[in-house]
Amino acid sequence: MAAKQTNLLQGTLDLLILRSLLPGELHGLGVSRRVEQITKGTFQVKPGSLFPALHRMEEAGWLTSFWGESENNRKAKYYRLTKAGQKRLGTETEEWQKIAMAMTNALEAS
Amino acid sequence: MAIQSRIQSLLRNLFSKRAVERDLEDEVRAYVELTTDEKIAAGYSPADARRRALAEVGGSERLKGTVRESRAGSGLESLLQDLRFGVRQMVKSPGFCTTVIVTLSLSIGITAAVFSVLYAMLVRPLPYQDPERIVALDTRSASGGSQQASYPEYVDWRQMSHSFSALAGYDAGGSVTLESGTGAVSLDAVQGTDNLFDVFGVQPMLGRTFLPGEDQPGKNDVVVLGYGVWMHQFGSSAAVVGQTAKLDGRTYTVIGVMPEGFRFPINQLNAVYVPMHLTSNQKDNRGNHWMRTVGRLKPGVAYREAQADLAAVFVNLGRTDAFNAGRTIEIVDLTTYVVGSTSGALRLLLYAVLALLAIGCVNVAGLMLARGVKREREMALRSAVGASRGRILRQILTEALLFAVFGALGGVSLGYGLLKAMRMLLILSLSRGSEVSLNLPVLFTALLVSTLVTLVAALIPAMRLSGTAPTLALKSGGSAGTTRGQHRLRTGFVVTQVALALALVVVSGLLMQLLGSLRSTDLGFSADNILTTEISLPHGRYEGHDLLTSFYDPLMEKIGALPGVKAVGIIQMLPIQDWGWNSEHIHIVGTPPLRNPRTVAAETRFVSPGYYKVFQDGLVSGRYLDPGLDKSTTRMAAVVNEAFVKQFIPAGHDAVGMEIGDDANKDTMPDTDNPRILIVGVVKNMRQSLYRAPMPEMDFLVTQIPKQASMMAIGRMHLIVRTSVEPESLIGNVQRVFREVDPMLPFEAPQTMQAVIADVLTLERLENWLFGTFAAMAVLLAVVGLYGLISHEVELSTRDIGVRLALGATRGIILRGIYRRVGWMLVGGVFIGLLVTAGAQRYINSVVAVHVGKDGGLIIALAVGMILVGLLAAALPARRASSVQPMVALREE
Repeated sequence: MAAKQTNLLQGTLDLLILRSLLPGELHGLGVSRRVEQITKGTFQVKPGSLFPALHRMEEAGWLTSFWGESENNRKAKYYRLTKAGQKRLGTETEEWQKIAMAMTNALEAS
Repeated sequence: MAIQSRIQSLLRNLFSKRAVERDLEDEVRAYVELTTDEKIAAGYSPADARRRALAEVGGSERLKGTVRESRAGSGLESLLQDLRFGVRQMVKSPGFCTTVIVTLSLSIGITAAVFSVLYAMLVRPLPYQDPERIVALDTRSASGGSQQASYPEYVDWRQMSHSFSALAGYDAGGSVTLESGTGAVSLDAVQGTDNLFDVFGVQPMLGRTFLPGEDQPGKNDVVVLGYGVWMHQFGSSAAVVGQTAKLDGRTYTVIGVMPEGFRFPINQLNAVYVPMHLTSNQKDNRGNHWMRTVGRLKPGVAYREAQADLAAVFVNLGRTDAFNAGRTIEIVDLTTYVVGSTSGALRLLLYAVLALLAIGCVNVAGLMLARGVKREREMALRSAVGASRGRILRQILTEALLFAVFGALGGVSLGYGLLKAMRMLLILSLSRGSEVSLNLPVLFTALLVSTLVTLVAALIPAMRLSGTAPTLALKSGGSAGTTRGQHRLRTGFVVTQVALALALVVVSGLLMQLLGSLRSTDLGFSADNILTTEISLPHGRYEGHDLLTSFYDPLMEKIGALPGVKAVGIIQMLPIQDWGWNSEHIHIVGTPPLRNPRTVAAETRFVSPGYYKVFQDGLVSGRYLDPGLDKSTTRMAAVVNEAFVKQFIPAGHDAVGMEIGDDANKDTMPDTDNPRILIVGVVKNMRQSLYRAPMPEMDFLVTQIPKQASMMAIGRMHLIVRTSVEPESLIGNVQRVFREVDPMLPFEAPQTMQAVIADVLTLERLENWLFGTFAAMAVLLAVVGLYGLISHEVELSTRDIGVRLALGATRGIILRGIYRRVGWMLVGGVFIGLLVTAGAQRYINSVVAVHVGKDGGLIIALAVGMILVGLLAAALPARRASSVQPMVALREE
């Protein structure tokens, strides 16, 4: 059960992370809190899922990272969307909306 | 874009690993700090906040582990890591490592070798066109014994049957001398009817094969060369067609060369093919059964039809040919015919080698399982330190693969080496022995099976363990519950091994007994100090001459004069080596005719007087054959053996002085008006075959053979010499004498009589060797398995033993407990093994007869022996168990 859930969420998680970085760069914890915020508490991303996702997307070229200072002057690793990442956000959003519409139709039909 | 980025990451991950790791470490730590700050801001105390932050992260090592795994290149990196670790593990436990690799190598190697033999014999198609359409005619005499065709019979069959597109006759097994400028060499000669090559459908590489009618006198001095002969004797010359070759002193024209790979019969490696050259006796005598027949079925004709067709032909012929009435025929497809009587042995061999492979795989599985259990703690540690389940499984798989690879390498080399070592023995004992080679499908199958077993056996414990919560496994004492099922499984393994090993041991024991009894069979003569060599006088140069005065007499005289020679003789067929030259229509004059005169045959031998001295065959009554008394002008005389007397002479009569009427050999009688043979003496029995009781035999003196029959009767003889010194020491002198008498005759290497007998037993020796090896290996593996199991169990229950000792048990009780357990395993295994042997009796019987009554003693002895060996194997670990120090054991974790 647990495995299935993660798989389902991986695509969703990527999309959420990309979306949360659209306004600007964030550090890891920040991304987690932003996702919680924009989904109104529905998704709480634990570090166990967050970190691998961030690193994976960075390797794929959709994010870049750099070391910066947090609000409390602590050192933290920040992530920012790349051009490719922005493009990906666009296509994934479209894809998602298509799926959502199809699902809605299917579930509403008698 | 994405790809470029991925490649960059891959390179960075592989080559700047330390930097990447440090970065990750920092990132995680920073995350924890930030989370702690957040929680402090929310109102928790600093310590509390930190603790909660850490809890949220859930174990930084594990977290780092998951990140690492998702990285590009992680697969490759972990594989390399696994390999390095695996190799280190192997080096750390050399005993275990060697046992597994050796077991795998032995199993794979022997299996591959035996499968190769089976493939060459049973699976590989014969090198002819559509070989399943080619049949051999297995013709039998009225008494049921195998009997070949006579030429006039064959001509009738060819005319009267409708089922064959080609029905050919042939004679193989003879040799012919090729004379060239450099000397004389002996080749295998196959003579056949004009349509022989039509049966096989293989086109010649150069030139052509026989034309219709080319087997008639005047046209038949042509020869087709086999590939081997063309290569070695004619230098692979492309211009060989049209050249002449001198065979047995006669000039033949080479008309063609067969391609590489074509061989007929399948075991003739250096053959030349000539059309039939028949003597008048062979051509006209319906009772002279010397020719084999082979045919190709017409397209669309089924075996059943052809069989019925020929059976009808035989019945029809039987009406007009009283001589051959009652003969029967069976059509056998050539592939089966070639395998012949060895098919039963081969099938048994297949089962035996499968049993061995099973034992080997089971052993490896058991060893891997045990190891898996031992490494429980290691697995748990890994899990705790951050390895995911998949990672752990992958690592175990890699280690197992290492074993499989090394085992495979060992197995391939062993298999190859075995086949090479056995090659001569295989060629001598099996008709397709020369085709045995380590081929790919065979090797692949054996490798696949053993690799699968290794992997599965390694994975089973790993699968369970990698899911265990780390804390459970790390607790001291280990998990006793989980291993109980494993121990039941391993006990089952050991019992299976013992059972299979016993079955193999029984077969091997019976074979050894058989070989021993064959070797010690009472031959009726002493085989020591006898030297023999084969003589084949070339037709071209000796036809029409008196063979005795021109060759044999001077030869025997000169050899007799050599120092160390006690007696010299000649005979056309050596005892033990061969038999079947016989006459069927024996009736003793003055006695009531046998009900069915053709059902008992008497072996016929042509000998010189020295023969009896060489074999020291004692005289029972009458006299030996004597050239002074038995001349070409006097009555045909015969000396018979005791078996002949028993079979043909009525009780109370003295054989000496009685007469034999031998209708079949009328043409070989000196005085055809009085074709009766006078019995002049009776000698003691000498066995003609190792496998049968002595047969009735009539011996004739070579001086009495009429000229016209002499080439057929004594053109091919064996020289026999009794020596007072080591027989081999005379070989040089014997060769010198041969060269003096006829320098153009190729000299066949002499053999001692003992070697001749050993050759006859080649197949039995091969079987003994194979099954003996299997049995020894099976027992060894079973012992190793048993030892390993008991050792392991003792190791695991050391604490229990300590407790029991501390509570008052004596060492004796501990020991007895262990032996009782081992004993039950062994008894169970032996019992099942006996059942398996009984069940396989039909298959075993094709190799060696199993009689419960006669061999029961041997079988029981072997079973008891097996149990004792097993108990011995368990002795060492048992002793270790009983010498446990309670205090030490209790303290141990």
